[in-house]
Amino acid sequence: MSSCGAPAAEGGEALMQKRQKYDKSKNCVRCKDNIGNIVVRHAVYCKNCFSPMIAAKFRRGVEPYVNEAPKGRRRLKASGNILVGLSGGVGSTVILDLVNQSYFAPRTDTPGGKEHPRFNERIWQKGFVCYVDISAVFPNMRDRTNEVRNAAKTYDALEFILVRLENAFDDSWWTSVGGKPSNSELFVDFADQDLLITAISDSNTDPVAALRTFISALPTQTAISQAIPTLVRVLLLYTARHLGVSHVLLGTSLTSLSISLISSISQGGGFTVREESDEQWMAPGSTTPIRIIKPLQDVGMKECSAWAWWHGLPVVQKEKLPGTGQDIAALTKDFIVGLEKDYPSTVSTIAKTCAKLAPKHGSVRRCLLCERPIQEGIDDWLTRTSIRSLSIGNTTPRFSTARLTPSLCYSCHTTLTSKSSRGATKSTSSFVRLPVWLSAGLQSAEYSMFQIPDERDQPAEKTSAKDTEVWQTRKIGQQEMKHAIGDFLIEDSGQ
Amino acid sequence: MASENTLKVKIEFGGGLELLFDNKRIYDLELPATFEDDQPSNVDFLIRYMRDKLLKERVELFMEKDTIRPGILVLINDTDWELEGEKDYALKDGDEIVFISTLHGG
Repeated sequence: MSSCGAPAAEGGEALMQKRQKYDKSKNCVRCKDNIGNIVVRHAVYCKNCFSPMIAAKFRRGVEPYVNEAPKGRRRLKASGNILVGLSGGVGSTVILDLVNQSYFAPRTDTPGGKEHPRFNERIWQKGFVCYVDISAVFPNMRDRTNEVRNAAKTYDALEFILVRLENAFDDSWWTSVGGKPSNSELFVDFADQDLLITAISDSNTDPVAALRTFISALPTQTAISQAIPTLVRVLLLYTARHLGVSHVLLGTSLTSLSISLISSISQGGGFTVREESDEQWMAPGSTTPIRIIKPLQDVGMKECSAWAWWHGLPVVQKEKLPGTGQDIAALTKDFIVGLEKDYPSTVSTIAKTCAKLAPKHGSVRRCLLCERPIQEGIDDWLTRTSIRSLSIGNTTPRFSTARLTPSLCYSCHTTLTSKSSRGATKSTSSFVRLPVWLSAGLQSAEYSMFQIPDERDQPAEKTSAKDTEVWQTRKIGQQEMKHAIGDFLIEDSGQ
Repeated sequence: MASENTLKVKIEFGGGLELLFDNKRIYDLELPATFEDDQPSNVDFLIRYMRDKLLKERVELFMEKDTIRPGILVLINDTDWELEGEKDYALKDGDEIVFISTLHGG
């Protein structure tokens, strides 16, 4: 019989009993016969039951979203093609394997013969694997394209597509994916909270140089870790649109999703918390949305790694960004991974709780950088609640009235402008070229109300006739302040 | 077959963990059958042995607070070490232990 007394008083060790990592017995919870091979959130599975369990979870994550009208015909038929985002990490490697196994590889385990329609009719007519190479972000980063290409070669039913991160600043890539070529390149001043825009015609910036300038101008390491996945995501989406894709599949596991949810909320992405797990993207000018699905959002990183190991999948690994480790995303990752070790169900609770969240008000516009919805009235709200500038003595006159700020969501605005008292990156240039889709969006009819001045029309000494108002920030004395508000002051009655 | 006083164990790395161990994926080790106070050698002994004898760089990426760092999946003879008693599992001759880093994302 166990005692309720204090262990130390009874001569025992004052240590808490270590909790068993699995419920009940070591036998598989599914077949009940075999000895288990893996513990998944306290439940034990044998190897034979583990693979069908993961494959079933994957299909449950995909198939309800395949047909345009979910309650229509029972037969699964997508309106376009499928694109799998491959980063080289374990999640995307697993999802590529599952997509191939479930929907593209010839099946021999079902009855009906080779001529049966189920063998000839695919849910998606064509499949693509898209890898976005980020090695140009910093010099000396390894280009893993060939390794990823070789890993993807195993799945010959899916066509390999290579996109490079610098394509985000490449007009020729933009035109090749169906984007409208712009007459001038737009540059923005990251040093200013309002992100004033300037247009320069025929600047012919090298895409790699433009990418590096953009990254180096970001104010913090956290902003760099946030901006790169945003660029990757939007590059994937525009590539998908060009390829006639209706479904983009990403290998975000439960662990990665929980990390990105917490990290995104802490960086001002609370309004789009739903989009982290389930998103529909409507390309500008398009009438059919592209569905971004994360079918492994109920499968932890541990299960993904076990699947990859037991199926002998070649995991290339993602290239680590130099200097990361102390940014919000990395710290959140350390926290969630540590939490998952001792309290694996809590990590699942994070994702499930976030799935219940919904913004109070809708949105009618999308952020031109991340292409996600913008919270309405964000600019007014920011003006009322935030310190907009830390530098009081800034006397630089502003010659532009075209602002990028109203076209950005709070999270992207924070990424581009939020400075840190420590850990700030060393910026080499304050004028930074904007990604191609952002420039195109600003020059489109929807945003034409923001007048974008051309540098040639607007020499530094004078402003155009349209923009006669020159803003200037300077420190003023108490007397001058009192004089400015003097008419509104109530005289002291002497009581 | 190892002698009475030793046991042979095969260790393998996955998920990029081999980079910490001289970029070598498989090691065949011959370990003493017992350590301190004649206790049978266990996984706790093995990971300390790996840290002291095999690890080439950045111990913090392999161990944390005297155990394996969170985010590393350990399989003992193809079975999750959580089912085998984790660090307390007593090693047997011919055991195969796999260390897989799960930290390289989606």
